[in-house]
Amino acid sequence: MPDTLIEVKNAVFGYGSKAVVRVEQLQVARGKCLGIFGPNGSGKTTLVRGITGLLNPIDGQVSHAPASGAAPSNAKAANLRISYLSQHRAIELHWPMSALDAAALATSARRLFGWMGRKCDDVLSMMRRLKIDHLAPRPFADLSGGQQQRVLLAGALSSEPTVLVLDEPTEGLDVRSTQELLDVLREFIAEGLGMMIISHEADDLMQVAGEIAWLHPAPVQGEPSRVEIVAPAELGERILQAGRSRE
Amino acid sequence: MSQENAECRVPNAEWDCRAKGRRCLVQRISSPRQTFMSVHRLGRHSCPFLISLVLRWISSIILVCALLLIGVCTRASAAPVTAPSDQPDASTQDLLNAINSGKPPPPAAAPVESAPEHAEETPPQIQWGRLIVNFDYMLMTAAALGIAGSILGLFVLLRREALVALAIPQVVAVGAAIGMRLEWPTLPPALGLAVIALVYFALSRRWAASNWVIPSAYIAGLCLSFLIIANHGQDVEDLQHLFVGVDVAVSFEKAAVSVPILLVVAAACAMLWRRWLLLAQAPAAAELAGLNPARWDTLFLALLTTVILLGTYSLTVVMVLAMLFLPAASVLPWARRLPAAMLAAALLSVLFVGIGFYLSNTMNWPLSQSIGGTGFAALAVSHLLAQFR
Repeated sequence: MPDTLIEVKNAVFGYGSKAVVRVEQLQVARGKCLGIFGPNGSGKTTLVRGITGLLNPIDGQVSHAPASGAAPSNAKAANLRISYLSQHRAIELHWPMSALDAAALATSARRLFGWMGRKCDDVLSMMRRLKIDHLAPRPFADLSGGQQQRVLLAGALSSEPTVLVLDEPTEGLDVRSTQELLDVLREFIAEGLGMMIISHEADDLMQVAGEIAWLHPAPVQGEPSRVEIVAPAELGERILQAGRSRE
Repeated sequence: MSQENAECRVPNAEWDCRAKGRRCLVQRISSPRQTFMSVHRLGRHSCPFLISLVLRWISSIILVCALLLIGVCTRASAAPVTAPSDQPDASTQDLLNAINSGKPPPPAAAPVESAPEHAEETPPQIQWGRLIVNFDYMLMTAAALGIAGSILGLFVLLRREALVALAIPQVVAVGAAIGMRLEWPTLPPALGLAVIALVYFALSRRWAASNWVIPSAYIAGLCLSFLIIANHGQDVEDLQHLFVGVDVAVSFEKAAVSVPILLVVAAACAMLWRRWLLLAQAPAAAELAGLNPARWDTLFLALLTTVILLGTYSLTVVMVLAMLFLPAASVLPWARRLPAAMLAAALLSVLFVGIGFYLSNTMNWPLSQSIGGTGFAALAVSHLLAQFR
């Protein structure tokens, strides 16, 4: 499989005829992490839906595994497995489920009627790797925020994704849990996993991301947001500059 | 102190986690600003904690009152059963004999002290075997409805779709009323309207209009069903029976249609439990895996509509709703995993049918309400005990 997993060129994403985000050039590559940073309402979710192929571009092109010769915007044909890790806070805790059930969510999505069978062993072995297998029989609702996020991460990783999309993975976590989570992510990036992280936390993105797509909302109402690719080392300085120029 | 609790201590102040097992609210603090934030967060969390404690006690008191009410009702209903109702007492019998023979009635006798055995005459023994054989189709259908309803009901409650489950029977009743009015069989128009409602509810979700469409359908069904058959004699009473379900009888034909379909729906819903869990918890992950959440939601609504339609067609709206909500709600406070919860709810629903049938015959109560009352009593006990777990 080629190193470039997803490539976006001069694409505009939106709903109906309403453009929300404009991207000139963007790549998700094997063993690299793309951070997606921007204020609320700037179109981060729309951008991710567009990159992953859930939303067809209004204009431009999105290619999944472009060197493989697969049709553009067709992750399935390109044999790309894209996993999504939602925030642990988005999980509805009133559902009775064990930590293993929660971890099995991502894998069950790819199974016929959700039946797991021996695939549960894969989930358990990934939990073992992340040193959380002792949590497997415990009710998911009883776990701490950090434990819940690690359980969900183990589940997303056990589905053997080519690209992992994480939505605010460190939201609501304490410093130690955040650091542990970022360490695990770095480990898997080093093993060749392509990753996209949506986050408001510039510090976290600077630690993990290879490059950052910064969404700038348009100054004029109705215009799409613009995506600027920034190196992580420059992000802090650029945020300060943006703050000064606003003052 | 355990490692876990030790980690929850604030370095400059001796605060422990408030309770073992609760999420730690106090984190490691290294600056005055973080100290302020932590204290602020602690205060923000403790207020809902107190409110939930008060609410728990209030709900416990309400549940105890409900149980007492059920007890009072049971005693009140039991009283007439112990009194001989069909057999006239001795003095009345003498009076009747005299009237029949044309003689003047004898003078009233002094009250006889030794008649307790007459007053305490036991009612005729209920022949349970014969009763069960007589009601076998009804019992089989009720048990199948219980199994299907309780499994579906578990997901209805978890997916917060109780209003849909309340609205569909009303729509089905409109179809039944149309059938009665036109002197057709009631099932085809009820089925037709249920399918239309199903599609409309599914579309209303996509248009984000379900918050007003579903309650409107509920009240529209409640009104229209009776307006359609207004001034139509016996049909009005039949429709009331459909809702209230005082007398429940199921023919072989109805049971032969309903029981297998209900059991298949129950099995399908149970086998798809991981799908329902995924769609509720991670719809984006489902979409990325190539699933269409809207289609799966429609499938769930279709399964629910099938259970409600067949339940209403064979039994009554009261029994359908009792089976949908009460076993599932009784089980949920104790459930740790969905498969066990589904099994427990299904067993409980069959138990409710059995106890309801027993109470209906021994207390001379209406069957659907006996089953519903049993379910509510179990629900009250379950939630009461869950408060003190």
